[in-house]
Amino acid sequence: MVDDIKADETLDCKGLSCPMPILKTKKAIGKMDSGQIIEVLSTDPGTKNDLPAFAKRSGHEYLGHKDDEGFARLYLKVK
Amino acid sequence: MNDKREKSVLGGILGRGYAAIFYDNWPIGLGGLLIAVMSMITFAWARPWGVAGGLRNWGDNFFSLIGVYSHPPLSPLISTNSILTLGLLWGAFGSALMSKQFAIRKAPPLELLKGIVGGTLMGIGAAMAGGCNVGGFYSAVSALSFSGIAMMIGLIIGAYLGLRYIYWELEHLPSGGGSGAISEKKQKGFSWLHAEPYLGVAILLAGIVCAWIYNQKALTRVGGLLLCGMAFGVIIQRTRFCFVRGFRDPFMTGEAEVARAMAVSVIISMLGFAALKWTGLRGEDAYVAQAFWFGGLVGGIIFAFGAVLSGGCGSGSVWRAGEGQVKLMIAVTCFALSMSLFEALIDSSTGLQALMGHRVFLPDFIQYKWTVIGITVLMFVYYMLAIWNEETDRFTVEM
Repeated sequence: MVDDIKADETLDCKGLSCPMPILKTKKAIGKMDSGQIIEVLSTDPGTKNDLPAFAKRSGHEYLGHKDDEGFARLYLKVK
Repeated sequence: MNDKREKSVLGGILGRGYAAIFYDNWPIGLGGLLIAVMSMITFAWARPWGVAGGLRNWGDNFFSLIGVYSHPPLSPLISTNSILTLGLLWGAFGSALMSKQFAIRKAPPLELLKGIVGGTLMGIGAAMAGGCNVGGFYSAVSALSFSGIAMMIGLIIGAYLGLRYIYWELEHLPSGGGSGAISEKKQKGFSWLHAEPYLGVAILLAGIVCAWIYNQKALTRVGGLLLCGMAFGVIIQRTRFCFVRGFRDPFMTGEAEVARAMAVSVIISMLGFAALKWTGLRGEDAYVAQAFWFGGLVGGIIFAFGAVLSGGCGSGSVWRAGEGQVKLMIAVTCFALSMSLFEALIDSSTGLQALMGHRVFLPDFIQYKWTVIGITVLMFVYYMLAIWNEETDRFTVEM
């Protein structure tokens, strides 16, 4: 499922820790259109919890994540 | 045949159990409860839980070693402060390994700089408030010290100011990312990640063996505290419980989950402490710091600002360091050094000591029953405010 996702934007948050990945995502989403998909790359294990929680609160749709080598790719559909 | 199937069923159950404990993160609310229970056990066993005191002990030992201090401090192997913090680091490290979450995580230069500045500020704040978010706030409020409440107000203000800075930084100093991919030594046919759970078991077992050795050397209390510290480390790493989020998130995303868990946790822990002190089982002066109100309030502001910069409070920095985050390792080091120096400065000046404030043990002024009721109401109000803000976003700061 997550393998087929084509992202419109990729946000590289590798090396950043809480709360930077969430805030950078929030900022990037502000410049995107409804229905677009953002891909967030993160090395912080906390992002896998924080991003779905952020999506739930802000109304965006969390599509899931997949693990890459040493980091995770997380997908969010802008509301 | 049947025997084989039963075995595979048992294997499945064990496998799922392991996944539930070490691959999925535990709910934050459970973290709050378990921390409260461990806080009571730790105080009943020997003393309240603290984190910054251990860091200070390490800083003291370092400065003594290089000849800055003339009086040798307590050995980090004996000091209960040091053992609790060592246990936290140890437990978090073991738990991160068992969850395959340990990796050396580098960070871009601006993040490292924030670790240095944030860690240093946390050391100064903790020295002023008589502890970090744990010893100065969590255990202090539990211990019915008024300075803990002063620090709570300071922490709220400091978290707000820290967040304002982060927003400013996002606009003006794009710190980027990308430079911080995990450094993984690739070896053909051998993956560290697969070995991590075994290493984690070995690390945690080694901790238990150390506690047993303490017991053999007639230092049972110290050994027990090592286990308590490790339990905190495992609980906090698995729940990713972060006190700074309890103060920051209501302003940042409006999320109330951590704030609520923290408020409930303080109430439970406080009831346990009150029982131990009221009945005379533990000294009333335990963890009542000379920090009301200036030290607690201003120390709290400085501490929380530093904690938001470094991305982890006293306990949070230590467990994230145990998970391999380079930025937090630097923050913890700066925290230890600056706290040691700043405490030495405060200790050397009666003027500064007087400025930090007084020891205020609330039951001396308003009896035990009103203290217990008052703190419960205060935490409940914080809990309700957090939920109200989650619904209304009244205090949430937009970027």
